[in-house]
This record gives sequence, structure tokens and C-alpha cells, in this order.
Amino acid sequence: MSLLKRKKNDAVENGAGDAEAVAKPAKGERMSQAKDLAVHHGTHKSIDVAGWVDSRVNATGIFTAMMSRHVPKGTNWFYTLGSATMFIFAMQAITGVFLSMYYTPSATQAYASITHMTNDVFMGEFVRGLHKWGASLMIILIFLHMARTFFFGAYKYPRELNWVIGVVLLILTTVMGLTGYLLPFDQRSFWATIVANNITASGPIVGPYLADFLRAGPDFSATTLSRFYALHMMVVPGLIAALIGAHLFFVVKLGTTAPPWVRAGRPKGSRPEEAVTAGVARDDFEEIPVNGAVAVAAAEEEADAADSSDSEDGEVNS
Amino acid sequence: MSDPLNKNSKQGEEPRVKLPPAEPRGYFEGESMTRRHVFTVASQAIGGVAAAAVVLPVVGFAVAPLFTRGEERWEAVGPVEQFNAETYKQVVITETPGIGEAGKTTAYVRTGAEKYNEEPNDVIAVSTRCAHLGCPVRFVQAAQNFICPCHGGVYDFEGKRIGGPPVRPLDRFQTRVKGGQVELGPRYSVTNQLKAVRVRDPGEFTGGIWEYLYPPRPSTFPPPSN
Repeated sequence: MSLLKRKKNDAVENGAGDAEAVAKPAKGERMSQAKDLAVHHGTHKSIDVAGWVDSRVNATGIFTAMMSRHVPKGTNWFYTLGSATMFIFAMQAITGVFLSMYYTPSATQAYASITHMTNDVFMGEFVRGLHKWGASLMIILIFLHMARTFFFGAYKYPRELNWVIGVVLLILTTVMGLTGYLLPFDQRSFWATIVANNITASGPIVGPYLADFLRAGPDFSATTLSRFYALHMMVVPGLIAALIGAHLFFVVKLGTTAPPWVRAGRPKGSRPEEAVTAGVARDDFEEIPVNGAVAVAAAEEEADAADSSDSEDGEVNS
Repeated sequence: MSDPLNKNSKQGEEPRVKLPPAEPRGYFEGESMTRRHVFTVASQAIGGVAAAAVVLPVVGFAVAPLFTRGEERWEAVGPVEQFNAETYKQVVITETPGIGEAGKTTAYVRTGAEKYNEEPNDVIAVSTRCAHLGCPVRFVQAAQNFICPCHGGVYDFEGKRIGGPPVRPLDRFQTRVKGGQVELGPRYSVTNQLKAVRVRDPGEFTGGIWEYLYPPRPSTFPPPSN
């Protein structure tokens, strides 16, 4: 119902029913009044929770922009490796929070608390197992995701910044591995941390100070464990979450790339002979869509494998 | 010819009130900054001070251990008669208190031997921390060598490296005899000529230019004078 029509109805009702207005309006009536108000303010979508939120922050718009994007032809299962990595990160975050309910970051009690949570607590072995195996799985998935990006040429202009963020995420994930490895505080994790710290220390000039910072002193001490715990629990996960946000933002903003074996099309509306120079034209962001994926999705033909070696195509694909 | 402050005046028409010339735009007479610029700089400065008031103490809090030296610890390991010059005796000392077993370390102790130009009254305490990456070495009686289980580092009787990846001899502990008891004090590192230097982490070379590439840390104790 259009705004104008609704307003007319209001006028009719108000004019006719002054006497009835004294009576308490029924529930349905109150709802419709609220609806009228929303309509009056021009914010009305529908009166339910989603609509209420939507009319204030446009959640549907954000969701649509993220989830129903154009993707290029040839998108395949390799494109899910990034999401898989993010899922494992979420799993690590959730299981980690619950593990921290039983863990004691103290040099004298850490090992006992780990054995307690593993052997005595209901499902403890399973939750700890998820966290432990998930750690290895996350590293594996990151490298597979990185390999996909590399071999598909998806790191090229304009996505170099996202590659850089991805590398920082890889480094932070290995820092998670390093700091998490000490926490069980058995012989293996203790000596592995000693060795890792000494490797850090063997870097010239800054190495000795960096090792002192990690250990919180010249030797492994009580503070070392709590320091690693704080890095593992708070600092690094926070940085990773923030950078994943930036990583996703760029994926949504720039779109995904076509696989190298799919030949790029020309921007919509261009004549066939212009396709040859499309790579040049695409440098100009004012004339063609910013979202590379849109242009690629508009491709009319798929190329055979031989075409993918074409340098012109490579540039368009990136 | 057009006055920038009187955009609304019609072309060619003389504005009724003549404003004072203000060049460049946005500046008032006698001012060297626009007001917008003044407020931008001021709010950024205040925000910077507020951020620094939080960040600097926190960073200092985190890096304080780099500049803090712990208490000097001396621990008695037995009467001096227990030790001889021919072979090492294994002792366990607490290097870092408060963390149980993890704070303990093993040392090998003997008295000075003429063979190595040492005074008979000297007590030598060799650390078991491998100079490669910090694994614990053990003294093998038959071979008279220190051997590291991790990557195969080998040291001779004096603790000098004779094989494997270590970069310098084994560290030592300062020693003294007090009331007939041998006491072990702070750790120190040695050069290949067994000259005492301030303690370095495993993996760091000692002596010569390495003393500058691996600078001594303020969190460690000064070495004994040779």
C-alpha cells in the first residue's frame, strides 16, 4: 500500500471515529497504528523484528551485498578454502573460550588442569581434541587457500592488499600455534618453547631483546606462561578477527577472480572488437565496473585451456 | 573580478556591502589558520594525549621485564670436599623460584685442574644448557664429553664445543666457597677462549664482533672478572 493511500485512509478513519477513539483500541488496532506511524516516517518495511532492525540499519542490504554477489563463471570448490579456514578459526575461538573455563595458566597447576579437563570433565577430551586438531587443520587450510590464490593469480591488481593481509594472518596463526603449544606445559611443550625462544634470540641485535620480551625476563619464568596465555587468548585472536574483517571487506568490495582457464569477457555494451583492448580499458575505473567479477561474469564464452596462457586474458582475469 | 565571498551577487552587479579582502579563503583578517584547522589540530592533539596516556603505561608494563634484573641467588650444593678435579659431580639448583620443577636446572661441578691452568681452590660449575638451542646436555663419563640429545652437540671436558651445531662453549655458573659449602650463583657465558662474558641466550655467538651483534641485556648479571 502506498504512503499516499495509507494517509488517505487515516484521514477517513480519524474524521469518522472521534467518539470511538475514547475507547481503548484493540490489540490489532494498536499494531496497525504502529504500522501507520512507521509508514508516516517512511521507514516502514514490515512490522516484525527483522523489519524493525532493517528499517534502521538496512541489514538486508548489507546481507544481500555480502551473500548475493556476482561471481565469475568457473567458480568451484577451491573457492571455499577461505571460508573453511574462517570456520576453523571460529571453531578454535569457541572451543578455546570453553577450554579456558577449566585451564589454569600457572606453571605449577597448568599440567594438572589439562589432565583434569581431558580425563575427568564430561566431553573434555572431545572439546580439547577439536581445539588441538583444529589448530593443525587451520594451518593446512591456510596454505591450501594461499595456494589457490597464488595459482589462480587472484593476488594480482587490485587485490595485492588482500594478499598482504592474508600473509599477516598466516603469521599471526603461526604465532597462535607457538603460544598455544606451551599451554599444556608438559615436557614436550616446555622444551619446544625453550627452543623456539632461543631461535628468536639468535636473531642479531633485536633477537636477545625480543626473546626477553617473550619470556618476560632473561630466563623462562612464572610470567612466561601467563604471557603466552594472554597472547594466545586475547592479543592475537583479536588481531586475527579484525584482519579477517578487513580481508572479507576487500573480498566483497573487489569480488572474486575467475579461474585462469576461464577467458574473460568484455564489459557489457562494448563491441566485440573492443574485447582485445579490454585489459587496457579496465585500468580506468570510471568507465567500467569497479567489481571485476561483474565484468567477468558477463563473459559470453568460455575459453579452452590454451587461451588461458594469453597474457591479455591474464590481465583481465586479475 | 568576482568576489569569492559574495557568490550570490549577480554577475556585474556591485555588492552592497564591501567585505574586507580575505585571502586565501576561510581566513579572517590577522589569522594565520582557519578555525576549522585550529579545531582539527586541537582535537587530534587532545585525542593523541588521551591515547598516549593509556598506551604508554601499558607498553611499559609489558616491556618492563627487559629492564628488570631479578634478585641475585646463591645456592649451596654441598661441602667442598665432595668435589674433585678429575670428574664432574651433578647438582640440581633452582634458577627461577616459584615455578616448581620448570625452574630447576642441572649443573656439573668440579674443582680446578692443573691440566687446564686452573687454581686448585677454584670451583668450576658447568651449565647443562646446550649452547645450540637450550636442550639439556649430559656428561658422558666414558667419553669425558658433554653430549646434547637434541641435535648432537658435543663438548669436551672443559665445555668447549668439539662437534655439532653449538655456537660457543657451555655456560657456567659463578661459584664461591662459604663456610666449607660450595655455592652457585648467577649464570655467565664464555668465549671460545673461556673468557667470561655476560650471559647470552643459546644460539648466540660470543666474543669479538658478536658481542655487538648480540648485545648484552640489562636483565642479566654482569660476568665475574677474569
